[in-house]
Amino acid sequence: MNEILGIIIAAVLCWINFVLIDTWMGLPEQPGVKGAEVIGRGIQKRGGDLAGGFFQGNIVCSPDASAGTLLGAVGCYLIGFPAGGFVAALLVFIGNRLCADPGYAGTTGALSIMVIIGLASFIGMLPEQFIVGMLIAIVTIQGIDHPRASRLLGKIAEKMGRHTELT
Amino acid sequence: MIIHVEVMTMISYFLAVVSAIIVGLILRLPLLPERPIRYSFTISIIFPTTVIALGLSAMVFELGWEGMAVGIIVGVISALISKYLLEKILPRPAEQVEGETQ
Repeated sequence: MNEILGIIIAAVLCWINFVLIDTWMGLPEQPGVKGAEVIGRGIQKRGGDLAGGFFQGNIVCSPDASAGTLLGAVGCYLIGFPAGGFVAALLVFIGNRLCADPGYAGTTGALSIMVIIGLASFIGMLPEQFIVGMLIAIVTIQGIDHPRASRLLGKIAEKMGRHTELT
Repeated sequence: MIIHVEVMTMISYFLAVVSAIIVGLILRLPLLPERPIRYSFTISIIFPTTVIALGLSAMVFELGWEGMAVGIIVGVISALISKYLLEKILPRPAEQVEGETQ
């Protein structure tokens, strides 16, 4: 498969993977630690959505499905499939617990991207394309426009019944 | 490029998970964390014992020790780690600051 096309498809798959898992695991509902609350409130003050802000704060403060997706792809690239995904899941779990996070989102993200990488190999996609794709995906959430990204994340959270009850 | 997986390796991972579940049941670990699961720090058989079993198996297999027996032994060790060691190495957050829920 063409490398650029592969990276674009990988970016879309990674974006869907980590946003859906993180939202499902309740990241927009509440801040896991104080730092996530500060980030969420800061984004709200700049015109963003509070739930989306908590989401962004939580993925900064602990390794959630975003880190799981990236490390799962790195693991598959370095160690191979499926061992890399399993090692990544264990390391992300340890990182989660060190960051006062139960660890469900991170490990689920690492294991799910491992499955996606395995399936995508049938259409000629490589693990390294998922590493670049995940970096692009996380830039769209954390690196371009926080308020707009938070509003989009807030809408997704609302649709999935995970919007915050805090004000 | 299609990624190939050896059948024996997959069986070894499967046996690691099964042995971790069986030993976890014998050690009376809960099968699932209490609800809502996504906020629970309870150590159970499904999570994180199976994740530890898979991760440890992958590390051991990649270091050169392979086979079904190795998978079973790693599964047993994973369940023992979950029951007796995990809370000491990675304790749940002790204090809850106002505004935080975990």
